[in-house]
Amino acid sequence: MDGLLQALVNGLVSGSILTLPAMGFSAIFAVLRYPSFAIGALASVGAYAGWIANHLWGWYPEAALLMAFAVAALTGTLLEWVAIRPLEKSGALMMAVASLAASFLLENLLRFWFGNDLRGFDMPLLRDMSWGSLRVGPQQIKNMALSLAVMLCVWAFLRLSNTGRSMRAVADNPDLARLRGIRPVRVAMITVAMGSGLAGVGGMLLGLDTSIDPMTGPRLMLSIFAAAVLGGLGSIPGAVAGAMVIGIVEELTVFAISPAYRTPIGFMVILLVLSWRPSGLFLRRSEA
Amino acid sequence: MTSSIQRRDLLARSLGLGAGLALSPWALAQSGPIKLGTLTPLTGAGGVYGPVMAATVKAVIDEVNAAGGVLGRQIQLVSEDDQTNPEAGVRGARKLIDVDKVAAIIGTWASSVTTAVAPLCWESKTFLCTTSGADSITALPHQGFLVRTQPNTTLQGRKFGEFALELGARRVYFVTPQTPFAQSQLASMTVAVEKGGGKVDSMIYDDKKPSLRTEVDSVIRSNPDIVVLGGYTPDTSVMLKDLYRASFKGKLLAFGYSVNQKLVDALPAEVSEGIYTLSPSSDSNSAAYKRVVEITKTASPDPYSCQTYDHVSLVILAMAAGKGATGNTIRENIRRVAQGGGEKVESALAGLKLLAAGKQINYAGASGPCDFNDIGDITDSKFRYEQVKGSKLALLKII
Repeated sequence: MDGLLQALVNGLVSGSILTLPAMGFSAIFAVLRYPSFAIGALASVGAYAGWIANHLWGWYPEAALLMAFAVAALTGTLLEWVAIRPLEKSGALMMAVASLAASFLLENLLRFWFGNDLRGFDMPLLRDMSWGSLRVGPQQIKNMALSLAVMLCVWAFLRLSNTGRSMRAVADNPDLARLRGIRPVRVAMITVAMGSGLAGVGGMLLGLDTSIDPMTGPRLMLSIFAAAVLGGLGSIPGAVAGAMVIGIVEELTVFAISPAYRTPIGFMVILLVLSWRPSGLFLRRSEA
Repeated sequence: MTSSIQRRDLLARSLGLGAGLALSPWALAQSGPIKLGTLTPLTGAGGVYGPVMAATVKAVIDEVNAAGGVLGRQIQLVSEDDQTNPEAGVRGARKLIDVDKVAAIIGTWASSVTTAVAPLCWESKTFLCTTSGADSITALPHQGFLVRTQPNTTLQGRKFGEFALELGARRVYFVTPQTPFAQSQLASMTVAVEKGGGKVDSMIYDDKKPSLRTEVDSVIRSNPDIVVLGGYTPDTSVMLKDLYRASFKGKLLAFGYSVNQKLVDALPAEVSEGIYTLSPSSDSNSAAYKRVVEITKTASPDPYSCQTYDHVSLVILAMAAGKGATGNTIRENIRRVAQGGGEKVESALAGLKLLAAGKQINYAGASGPCDFNDIGDITDSKFRYEQVKGSKLALLKII
């Protein structure tokens, strides 16, 4: 029973880290209508940008998160402009393939510049705090809080700002949005910047708790995709819920079955959801 | 009529050209440099070792070339990176075999890479020297085109079990990612521990995971006296951090190649303090070992550089003894120079001189006596036991 509870807590923690890249993935899908498989590599880009700010320039980790956001957002926008957008007329599949190619390119550029070694942030390694038999790391609590704060910012941006409202309008109905005078290209670029930036922050948060290497983000791509599919592609609240469910299910697999079966769980979730409820568990059919 | 002569002329010229093309590689192969390849992990989990392994091979080849080469020909080295990854390893091996046409490939490190590359070697009659430990490798139908200088994992597993008992442990927990040697190592460790009245639990984990908290929870629930870490450096580093966070109080024992000085430097001192390591030991009293110390410019060279020093020396000597520069010649002559009643030599240069004088030789190298059984395993090896003390690996014993 203790083990089960601990696995649930661990799942919440890993879910909260998956949340930000999954939100980025869903936001890009909602507005631009293609699955961006570069999100994983952009998470690595953010992680390395944050690492440079923290480890080489001595910034506090919280400040380095801004750097992670900015560099990932810039890289994502550049990729969109140079590699993905020119293929818009060829359809979503071609754009998805281009994003996959961009992902390999970014991953290997990181490998070229930084090598394959694991790199850690300048943080003390703290012992876990215990409540009875339950353990949680201080850094994990901090990560969950930071992740929650970013989610709130995104929510406020989408709800309260004009740009956010434009994004939702384009996601709902691009033609109607254009009739209302919203410039779709500008909205698309802002969405890509936001989505990529979120992935970058997610990548750095993961690195704060563990360490980083060029595969930090791409390794999570299947889980991110599964979370977005589970929540309903294009739904940001769905991505949050999906990420939490995936995080918990993966950790429960480790606890109840075997760590070796963790990865197939992502594939199984995608298969089940696409078979029985293609619009996702958290998206109403009208929204799909 | 004119056109017929032209046709004949064309035919004759084409035949001539074809024959020339067909013969030229053969002619070149007989007179040009002899090509040898290294396929070591320059990047990836084995990236700490691969570059030094390749540099050691190059140093031996440079020495031999400076003394006039072998069979009157210079040796040319081609080095490829296997990235500690079987797919990249196969690509590298294909290039070495098909494009460079090397006689031997030296230095595959990860068992998964060697397992993938070995069939390409025996199919193309290219000789393969490896430092991988998985038992399954020498059980492959390699027709004699493979030798390894690393003790197999059955032996290593037994040593792990015996050392755990010696450290006072009765409840042993073996954690490892999925590798070609995980099962054989576990099996022989279990036999050794159970013989001493102990018990072994085990877990195969996913080495791509950034956090192993839930895995560590399972380990701690069974309250082991010692955790034996079977992974490579990156995943072992994640596992060690999570064991520290969970305040694990028992002992830790790992492979020397995963808990190396680089890992110790990268982790906070309190995380790595006290970890025991075990690795096949080189023969630090030999002249060959001292030469590797000079080549690598380190006081304590890693076992894999010592092994590749022996690989290239044996390959060169086998070619000289068999008077040929092919994988087949190496296969047929390697045991002639590595073991038997000949005069003991510890370098390729010394061996070449004796062979030229018509004498028999018995090469003993930096990694040990280098005597091989029928399937290519070494017949004898020492082990080196170390412990992390004050962020440095301190030698406990070599037996």
